[in-house]
Amino acid sequence: MIPFVAVVSLRNQESHTFRLWIPLFLVWLLLLPLGVLLSPFIFIACLVCRVNPLRGVAVMWQILNALTDTELEVEHRSAGMSFHIL
Amino acid sequence: MSEHRRQILQMLSEGKISANEAERLISAFEEPAATKSPAESPTEKSRPKYLRVQVDSEGEAGQEGPTKVNVRVPMQLLRAGVRLAGLLPAQALYRANHAMQEKGIPIDLTQIKPENLEELVDQLNDLTVDVDQKEAGTKVRVRVFCE
Repeated sequence: MIPFVAVVSLRNQESHTFRLWIPLFLVWLLLLPLGVLLSPFIFIACLVCRVNPLRGVAVMWQILNALTDTELEVEHRSAGMSFHIL
Repeated sequence: MSEHRRQILQMLSEGKISANEAERLISAFEEPAATKSPAESPTEKSRPKYLRVQVDSEGEAGQEGPTKVNVRVPMQLLRAGVRLAGLLPAQALYRANHAMQEKGIPIDLTQIKPENLEELVDQLNDLTVDVDQKEAGTKVRVRVFCE
């Protein structure tokens, strides 16, 4: 399943935590019409590069699905930042 | 012959149990082993889901202080990445190879193909890289492993 939400957590040196929930599903909804509009150009680009367009779309879809559960945390002294795709 | 089977056959020969009962007992002992092997083999169970990279840097007192980086990447993402690499035109892969060799990384991307994708990812299962570096008063520890 494609990721729907990303969570960004920021913690400063006074241990105040700021958590931001990013609704990725809205991004996908916005990108969907753009993808449809750009599909002829993507198709032509795939043909020029001799790549099967369907395979290209399938791989991109797999990458999008696999992004779920990706996590990145950085801590420096008592401050920190984390990024989690749900 | 296993100990259980021997005991069952002995009980059968002594007339303590019937042939049908002996058959049922033998099949009951054999069943768990047969059902375990294909689906719940240890390799299948212990198949890792994530590739984790941890970096711990400890600075000296009065310097920048400790820094920790923790990255967790799903194995599925690696698989999809290898598939994407398989889609790239050969010319682009040669250029990428050349650029990496200039940086001292002798990896041939043209050899990464979807056919040997599973083998490549499976090899990562046993991967653990530990790097300890201590120089200029800073201790850096890098761990790469699958979980």
